[in-house]
Amino acid sequence: MDSVAQRLSAVGAGAALELRGVTRLFGALAALTDVTITVRPGERRAVLGSNGAGKTTLFNCITGDFPPTSGTIRFFGEDVTHFPPYERIRRGLRRTYQISALFPGLTVQDNVYLACRGVSRGRFSFLRPGPNDALMHAADNLVQAVHLTAVKDQRVAELAHGQQRQLEIALALAGAPRFVLFDEPAAGLSPTERAELIEILTSLPAHIGYIIIEHDMDVALRVVESVTMMHNGRIFKEGLPEEIQSDPEVQELYLGGGHE
Amino acid sequence: MSVTHDVSVQVHRPASTVERPAARGWPDINNPAAWIVAAILLIMPLIANGFFLIEIFATTLILGTVALSLMFLAGYGGMVSLMQLSIAGFCAYMVAVFGVSGNANISLGWPWWLAVPMALTLAVMFGTLGGALAVRTEGIYTIMITLAIGAAFYYFTNQNWAIFNGHTGINNVSTPRFWGVDWRADIPFYYVVLATAGLCYFAVDYISRAPFGLALQGVRDNPRRMSALGFNVNAHRVAAYAVASFIAGLAGVLQVWNYRQISPGSVSVGACIDILIIAVVGGITRPVGPYIGALVFVLLRTFALDFLVKIGLDGNRFRLLIGLGFLAIVFWSSDGVIGLWQRWRQSQLGEANRQGGGRGHG
Amino acid sequence: MTRFIERHPAWALIVIIAVAVALWLIFAVWPPGLEEAVGRKRVFLNAVFNGITLGGLYFLVASGFTLIFGLMRNVNLAHGSLYLFGGYVGYAISASTGSWVLSFIVAFVLTALVGVLLQVLVFRRMEGQDLRQTMVTIGLSIVFADLMLWACGGDFYQIQTPNWLIGPIELPLLTAVKSSGEPVYLRYPLVRLVIFLASVAIGIAMWLALNRTRIGMIIRAGVDDRDILAATGVRIQVVFVLVFALGAGLAGIAGVVGGTFQSLSPGEDIRFLLASLVVVIVGGMGSIPGAALGALIIGLAEQLGSVYIPTYAIVVTFLIMVLVLALRPQGLLARR
Repeated sequence: MDSVAQRLSAVGAGAALELRGVTRLFGALAALTDVTITVRPGERRAVLGSNGAGKTTLFNCITGDFPPTSGTIRFFGEDVTHFPPYERIRRGLRRTYQISALFPGLTVQDNVYLACRGVSRGRFSFLRPGPNDALMHAADNLVQAVHLTAVKDQRVAELAHGQQRQLEIALALAGAPRFVLFDEPAAGLSPTERAELIEILTSLPAHIGYIIIEHDMDVALRVVESVTMMHNGRIFKEGLPEEIQSDPEVQELYLGGGHE
Repeated sequence: MSVTHDVSVQVHRPASTVERPAARGWPDINNPAAWIVAAILLIMPLIANGFFLIEIFATTLILGTVALSLMFLAGYGGMVSLMQLSIAGFCAYMVAVFGVSGNANISLGWPWWLAVPMALTLAVMFGTLGGALAVRTEGIYTIMITLAIGAAFYYFTNQNWAIFNGHTGINNVSTPRFWGVDWRADIPFYYVVLATAGLCYFAVDYISRAPFGLALQGVRDNPRRMSALGFNVNAHRVAAYAVASFIAGLAGVLQVWNYRQISPGSVSVGACIDILIIAVVGGITRPVGPYIGALVFVLLRTFALDFLVKIGLDGNRFRLLIGLGFLAIVFWSSDGVIGLWQRWRQSQLGEANRQGGGRGHG
Repeated sequence: MTRFIERHPAWALIVIIAVAVALWLIFAVWPPGLEEAVGRKRVFLNAVFNGITLGGLYFLVASGFTLIFGLMRNVNLAHGSLYLFGGYVGYAISASTGSWVLSFIVAFVLTALVGVLLQVLVFRRMEGQDLRQTMVTIGLSIVFADLMLWACGGDFYQIQTPNWLIGPIELPLLTAVKSSGEPVYLRYPLVRLVIFLASVAIGIAMWLALNRTRIGMIIRAGVDDRDILAATGVRIQVVFVLVFALGAGLAGIAGVVGGTFQSLSPGEDIRFLLASLVVVIVGGMGSIPGAALGALIIGLAEQLGSVYIPTYAIVVTFLIMVLVLALRPQGLLARR
């Protein structure tokens, strides 16, 4: 089967992300079965599927939170299958979590600063950042980009849900991301916040590709150029958004009935 | 996961209004109470006699520094280590073994300025290896593993005669003398202890806002996310153990100079647990907590006998008092006596003054 | 078992060889060269039997500890205090009534009652806060230790072995062959064997109860996934109280056993708490078979160590723990 990536890719550049036969078992239960996906650099793709289709497990395998049981994962041509998560992150991979995974005891500014520090040198530095610290400025800019400047000295535990979701995105954009995995970034957001989210996603520099898991088709289809449909831990369909939307099988399975 | 979660959620909250103003500056620099406490500590030899100076204040500062190393691990890193006293004790033993002591068959007789760095290096190695073992598992297991390490060390010192001289320990450890000063004389020794404790206190406070300390707090709050931000979580944890071991080791050097001897009794399991009690009673969210806890502990230990007899109880029930006090603190305050004091201040000051509330410790 | 052999053939081979060597050492008549090198076979056999029976005692203490931890995530650092309390109760009963068996029953009931009170009055209020619970158990262990010191003093107590169990029994194990060709058999204290068999019986009964009864299934499900318990609509608090009572009661029984084998004195609480910690770390947290294996390993290591390398016996035990943590941090028989 011709993958969408191949069809979309005019230039013969290497893939940003390449999964081959990735399978993940939990005991006897297969959460992912033989998943093969290729995403080219700068590509923006949605992963759709009902609950339990294996979307978040897919993300966990890509970032290394859970290593795959079998199969290989390549990130910009490098085999990262057996890398710990932090090694993959340092190579430009980023992710957000479906349930905000932040540092509630630290301030917004410190959260973002940590994210910037994590992908640069001096993670073990015993010296406090000075007034002209480059990473501090980078953190300030990111905080501003996600509209949290007003609350940047508040502890994360005190933030509203929507603000936490925005912070979640800021953490994933720190440093120089090359590819980002967004896990339901719009979950629980108000319509205004959704609009802001779409604006943030569409204004990302063109070289940053991403995969987004999103139940809200309005959000998903406005910010992606290709769609992968998952079902029961397998790839069910791949295609352009309009192909997927009009596919009768997909409609029956997902768009028509039974999705929440 | 669960320990880190516990520490951050229930223990950290009371400090929320407190930490922020001092975000990037030196701690409590604008706080008059801190200056007063600092001044009193500096002129203490004018106020207190030798007994108070050494038995109360120097002992408090030494125990407080051991507890500070635990506070650093538990409060910032979410790792409750019960082996901190063992590391201090190990360092104390090493000072005695490499330096000069009454047990000439064991001690190598090095001058103190060689023996101390050697002892500190070995103590950091010991603590780091123990930490590397403890971080193989997570959360509440840390307590069990570090307690087992501490206990093994205690039994080992009891059994081993070649290095640790069995249950009699090493006696008559010599203390430094140079520039015409006997540094173990009450007043010089007090200042040595005060300087070391002050250094450790400010270092911990400073590191807590440096990248390493921030990352440690991130590891405490959410290790998985830290990994997804590019941090090697276990390396950070082990490094935290190394830092804490160095602090504990310094305290161990002071301890062996203070008593001029070291024996298994100083590293018993009960003593290891006492350090946890000190840190928790004082409060494990800020570096000042361990010192407050240590003061309470030392005062109780010294005066409990008189006090208990006065209220008509057996004077030997000191441990009962400690245990009950500890239980009361764990039940009613998640942040030790600092937490209690802050709550009281806040109820006094009301909501309006919240921003400045409760920063009055030195 | 077969899966283990398939997945780790090298380890399986090592284990099989080790077991074969151990069996040969126990059953064969030692050649003179070996006796010269490591000492008399009688000494070795005694150490092995002491190790195994000590393992039985450790199992009694550690199984309660591991059960409580597995289900409630409560690291009960007051477990050693329950052990010592059970021992003192057993001593009081056996000294006043002269009945050894009765002392077990009373010790079990009273320590179980303490366990119930702890769970109902203290730990129930702080469910899910495992660090705080552990702190509380530390405080309790200090308070209990001092109360017991107050009540019983610092003396050593030993529980009287009943007459029908006094004296050694001859086992069909050769220790040597006399020059006349007459075989010499191992003589070993009967009481230790009886107690060991009883702890094996208790272990098997616990295993059966956990695997064959409804309440056992519930407890096991709860150990694996605590959310399941809430979902099944079981009255979770009742299960918790029962498990705490059982765990504490076992520690009480162990106290009587320890008071008969060895002696009771302040400090024994910490010793047995540590033994439980190491046993459970080695065997695997929350696993009953793990506690059994861990207890056997630690008991043997301690006894063989104290015979053959007396200065470093404690180091051997500790090294075992370090090795397990380094190679298999979740413990030998833990599921994850």
